[in-house]
Amino acid sequence: MRVVIAEDSVLLREGLVRLLDDAGIETAATVGDGPGLLGIVEEHDPDLAIVDVRMPPSFTDEGLRAALAVRARRPGTPILVLSQYVEERYATDLIGGGAEGVGYLLKERVSDVAEFIDAVRRIAAGGTVIDPEVIGQLLGRRRAGDPLESLTPREREVLGLMAQGRSNGAIAEDLVVTEGAVEKHISNIFMKLDLQPAQGGHRRVMAVLAYLGRAGG
Amino acid sequence: MGELSREPGGGGAVEWAAARWAAATRGGGGAPSVLNGSWAPLAMVRSSVTWRSALYLAFSMALGLGWFVVLAVGLSLSLGLLIIWVGVPLLALLMVAWRFGAMLERRLVLAAFGVRVPDPYRRLPGTRNPLVKLKGMAADPATWKDLAYLAVLFPVTLVEFVVSTAVWAATGMTLFLPLVVAVNGGAEVGFGFVSYWAGDPLEAVPVMALGLVFLVLAMYVTRAMAVGHTVFAALLLGPSPAQAENVELRRRTEHLRASRARGVDAAEFERRRIERDLHDGAQQRLLAVAMDIGRARAKLDQDPEGARALIEQAHAGTREAISELRDLARGIYPAILTDRGLDPALSGLAGRAPVPVEVHVDLPERPPAAVESIAYFIVAESLANIAKYARATRASVRVAREDRWVVVEVIDDGAGGAVARPGGGLAGLADRAATIDGMLIVDSPPGGPTIIRADLPCSW
Repeated sequence: MRVVIAEDSVLLREGLVRLLDDAGIETAATVGDGPGLLGIVEEHDPDLAIVDVRMPPSFTDEGLRAALAVRARRPGTPILVLSQYVEERYATDLIGGGAEGVGYLLKERVSDVAEFIDAVRRIAAGGTVIDPEVIGQLLGRRRAGDPLESLTPREREVLGLMAQGRSNGAIAEDLVVTEGAVEKHISNIFMKLDLQPAQGGHRRVMAVLAYLGRAGG
Repeated sequence: MGELSREPGGGGAVEWAAARWAAATRGGGGAPSVLNGSWAPLAMVRSSVTWRSALYLAFSMALGLGWFVVLAVGLSLSLGLLIIWVGVPLLALLMVAWRFGAMLERRLVLAAFGVRVPDPYRRLPGTRNPLVKLKGMAADPATWKDLAYLAVLFPVTLVEFVVSTAVWAATGMTLFLPLVVAVNGGAEVGFGFVSYWAGDPLEAVPVMALGLVFLVLAMYVTRAMAVGHTVFAALLLGPSPAQAENVELRRRTEHLRASRARGVDAAEFERRRIERDLHDGAQQRLLAVAMDIGRARAKLDQDPEGARALIEQAHAGTREAISELRDLARGIYPAILTDRGLDPALSGLAGRAPVPVEVHVDLPERPPAAVESIAYFIVAESLANIAKYARATRASVRVAREDRWVVVEVIDDGAGGAVARPGGGLAGLADRAATIDGMLIVDSPPGGPTIIRADLPCSW
């Protein structure tokens, strides 16, 4: 597996390269700014691009815009966006063009090496990984007539885990319930949110986030 | 350094401060004008205001006559034609013309006498309709005072012309008599009981002493007329006392509004800077540390040596993060400033500067916290600039109480050429000083030395 990295902090860039190297993932190229990302993606055709949001020249959402540019130019290129702060708006921007192979995580998640590497592999394989913090922000929002209000706390929990790209089995394990119970929760959620049940982990995330994103306006 | 006026000005604190500085240091105690200049003969000879006044007084009669004719003809014509309505547009045209003339006259008074006569006009209605504008002009008493000024200008300038021609002609004739004698081959000298024929330039030289007396006399007469004309202009062309007070209040409000806005901007800028410093510094370092520890944990079983190296690296990283956080915290607010005041806080700054810095703090009592903090950051920013750009070998910091002001002065012997650019550190300091009604002056001629001086009010 080969990745490219766009990250302006040398310290973190080097750390990421070594961390991925420890897990047997090769880094094909790195850049220190947003505009350079598209170039290395086109040149190396990586299995995944890891991008920091805040980079030169503007130090705002440079990386996010670069990621969107890559997705627009080469749809389907798996991208993991790392950020010091997560914002739901960034998440909905990112998955706006399709949630397949999209990841959006807080930077500090890299310190849980095993979990991070797992996320990297899942995204590269076309999965979706959204930081629990974003899910929390989305679920924490309350507004009048919000269908989310009708979810039970357990269903909410399942929705959150679902949005992180977990399989039913993993969710069942996490919540210490049977897979059958999880499936029941999920179909309840889809029903309450008026969503057609779909197959495959990332499709569920896409559906959930598309719904949440729309609700966020 | 001359008397430094602390009256806050209207425009940007920096330009204003720079202008004040120029006036205070180069003008020898305020901008030269007929009102505040020295009356000593030698100083008057040297001052360009004397000569500019003389020129104005000698030639303004042309303008006075011109306006007299224009107004006499224009007014009688348009008033006469009022019955058939043609007079109305003519009168309006004339009014615009004389307002223009008054504006020109204000400029001339400033150029000749060095006295600024502020515009007394009311704000014209903000419309594109010229008729409404004209109505606004006609309703403004200042317009009619302009007319009065221009109407009386001719007799006034006539007197000025006659008197100045007489005194300056006498001065010229006597001072340059030897020249006249040389050219004409002789001249009759006659002053009361002294009367003789000077046939040789040398014989005319004693008269030059008299010429000097005439010169001084002419300068005094010119000066007196200049002051008189200034008063005349201020009365008719300037705002009335109530209006002046109003203008002053408006100016003051505007100044406060601007300084508040700049203060808010400066605070906002500061918060962004802190966020940026945190993001680029400690946060990244701690992330790297977390990453190292994460990797170490993953390696612990298979590769204990590798894990140990990573833990070492993480340890070093935490120390760096701590030191970065310490610097950042000090940059936000140094604890010593709260505890012990400016002297130890500034000594600490000086100690960390790359060039030797002398610090003198002479304050009978501690100023308010806001003043201390601004003084501290002015010194901190100045020393940081010195370290970055000045190529200085030494610097000094002086903080002293002068009257009801805390004066902060940072001087270095570096390359000079420092300017307060909008958005730059120095401008930010000027803005912060402005929030407490203080001011900051940057005097940094190319080649140095650079003086940064702030006057901050003691009571805030």
